[in-house]
Amino acid sequence: MSNIIKTIDVTDSLENLKDVCDIENGRIAGKIFYDQAIYEQELEKIFARCWLFVAHESQIPNTGDYVTTTMGEDEVIVIRQKDGGIKVFLNACPHRGNKVCFAESGTTRGFICNYHGWSFNVQGNLVGQHESGIYEASDFDKAKWGLKEVAQVDSWKGLVFATFDPQAPTLQEYLGPMTWYLDALFDNQEGGTEFVGGCIRSTYDCNWKIAAENFVGDILHAGWTHDSAARAMLGGSVAKVSDFEESYSVNWNGHGYEFALDTVGNVAVLGESALNKYLHTIKPSVAERLGEFRSNMIGAVSSCTIFPNFSFLAGQNTVRVWQPRGPNKIELFTWVVVNKSAPQEIKEKWRKGAMMTFSPTGVFEMDDGENWEYCTKTAKGRVTAAQDLYIGLGMNSRASDTSLPGNVFKGQLNEANARAYYQQWFDHLNAKSWKELPNRNFGKQEAE
Amino acid sequence: MNVQIDNQTEQLHPVSFEQHHKISCFLAYEYRLLDEERFDDWLALMHEDIHYWMPGIENRRRENLLEHGFYAGDHMAYFDDGLRDLTRRVSRFKQASAWAENPATRNVHQVSNIEVYYGETDGEYLVHSVIQSVRSRGLDEQYVIYGRRTDVLVQEAGQLKIKQRLILIPNATLTCKNINTFL
Ligand code: FES
Ligand SMILES: [Fe+2]
Repeated sequence: MSNIIKTIDVTDSLENLKDVCDIENGRIAGKIFYDQAIYEQELEKIFARCWLFVAHESQIPNTGDYVTTTMGEDEVIVIRQKDGGIKVFLNACPHRGNKVCFAESGTTRGFICNYHGWSFNVQGNLVGQHESGIYEASDFDKAKWGLKEVAQVDSWKGLVFATFDPQAPTLQEYLGPMTWYLDALFDNQEGGTEFVGGCIRSTYDCNWKIAAENFVGDILHAGWTHDSAARAMLGGSVAKVSDFEESYSVNWNGHGYEFALDTVGNVAVLGESALNKYLHTIKPSVAERLGEFRSNMIGAVSSCTIFPNFSFLAGQNTVRVWQPRGPNKIELFTWVVVNKSAPQEIKEKWRKGAMMTFSPTGVFEMDDGENWEYCTKTAKGRVTAAQDLYIGLGMNSRASDTSLPGNVFKGQLNEANARAYYQQWFDHLNAKSWKELPNRNFGKQEAE
Repeated sequence: MNVQIDNQTEQLHPVSFEQHHKISCFLAYEYRLLDEERFDDWLALMHEDIHYWMPGIENRRRENLLEHGFYAGDHMAYFDDGLRDLTRRVSRFKQASAWAENPATRNVHQVSNIEVYYGETDGEYLVHSVIQSVRSRGLDEQYVIYGRRTDVLVQEAGQLKIKQRLILIPNATLTCKNINTFL
């Protein structure tokens, strides 16, 4: 086990976090978006602890296929093994720490460090060094100096997650009943999903949480922020969310999914009738596979964030990670997801449509970026950073009489998911380990 | 797609001094239209079959290159547009509710290193250039994008039109939040 990463020491929690995150009273403060000390705590108590999205299985189908990404600010290599498994290594050489893989994706039989020529195979073992003879003279034990593996790797329906923390619960426990909802996008057809080739990365001067929170449960902004994009793509305004008879905000362990049941509200903004038609065509088979309820979610007005920083939109089929790069900076990694079994021309329309709407050139995303950057930047002011920010919508909207799994709230115009998200954030920053983390879930583990 | 653009080995024939000048002026004019937010006039310069393409750039090893090296036709792209797509993008800029465009983004577009060659058919030109886009927003935001561009222009009824545009930036990570302009 010498190749498993050492667990980092946990520092004391910051005091007075309640001043900036008081969820019972429906208030947070901008300081959580701009403070360096808080950010340092996040890297340690959230990003070195939680399950983080690192790849989609379809990106690395064969032995030696790899992608590189980051877990928090830690660089990692995600690589397919001979036995079909996936390993995740620190992308840092155990000799002097140089980065060993500079490419974002590819296929290889191993990695050779540019500095002193240590070479590693697909399993991460150190298999050779430049001037290997001199190492023998120093009683060097090769077996101890392979690439360091993260503590746990697992996947759900093609989505690969990893955690640095050996004490972390299983991925299944971590996701809990959210998997039931994830399947509406990631398992609605036989064969599941795949990512379109490529990854678009961009840089925002915003805090990572404000973006993640937007997807966890802020459909409220859509009708206002995205009016111009909706008019451009649809020739009219976006669906009026308050008109939906039935919609929900569901959360668990800080993850959140807000959704309507209108089947095509999200996909419609791509302005490609063939995609609406495709979803209507597959809908009966989705109903057979997942039940009537979730067949209404496949492209409905909705959004989801898996705590802490993995988000997607069913319908637009954009998948993204908000990578933290300091308290007031992120790199946004985006991908496009499609059903493997979808016809080629449908996949192609999604590839273009997702980019046209949600990407740095996307007509929707352009307006989001401005908002998130200035929610962050205003907190530069010491006085402004302490200002109470209202996060109390839907305080009494818990759905008591539901058969749905998870912590269920009525209505998607609701800040219940955002509150649960920040509560989880607060709880992590106050806990020294998973054991100290309070369980605030009250809903059902499974659908009835 | 883009047979002509990708065919690097083909023998290229530079146009006359005068034609080169005309096309340089056309490219400068096109960029001034963008800087002045004259989007409809800008759209009018597009051929009805325009392919306006700015692929995502992937940082891959030399032994793992894609269809076109750092990019591929079926991978994610910043722009992979026809005329309908460009028109929809322009339509967003024109909405009063494009909140992020008010106050406006101030643009300076520059085009240089212009090489002009005869294209495959009569009245068609292959143009290589280097572009620079500087945007400023608010009081202090500034974003600069550099790129290499390959255009196919066609002369149609006495008017030059842009039929193909390939924009390649060197960056695998965009250093700004968006591209709320055309390049
Ligand atoms: S740092 Fe990698 S071989 Fe020395
Ligand atoms: Fe948005």
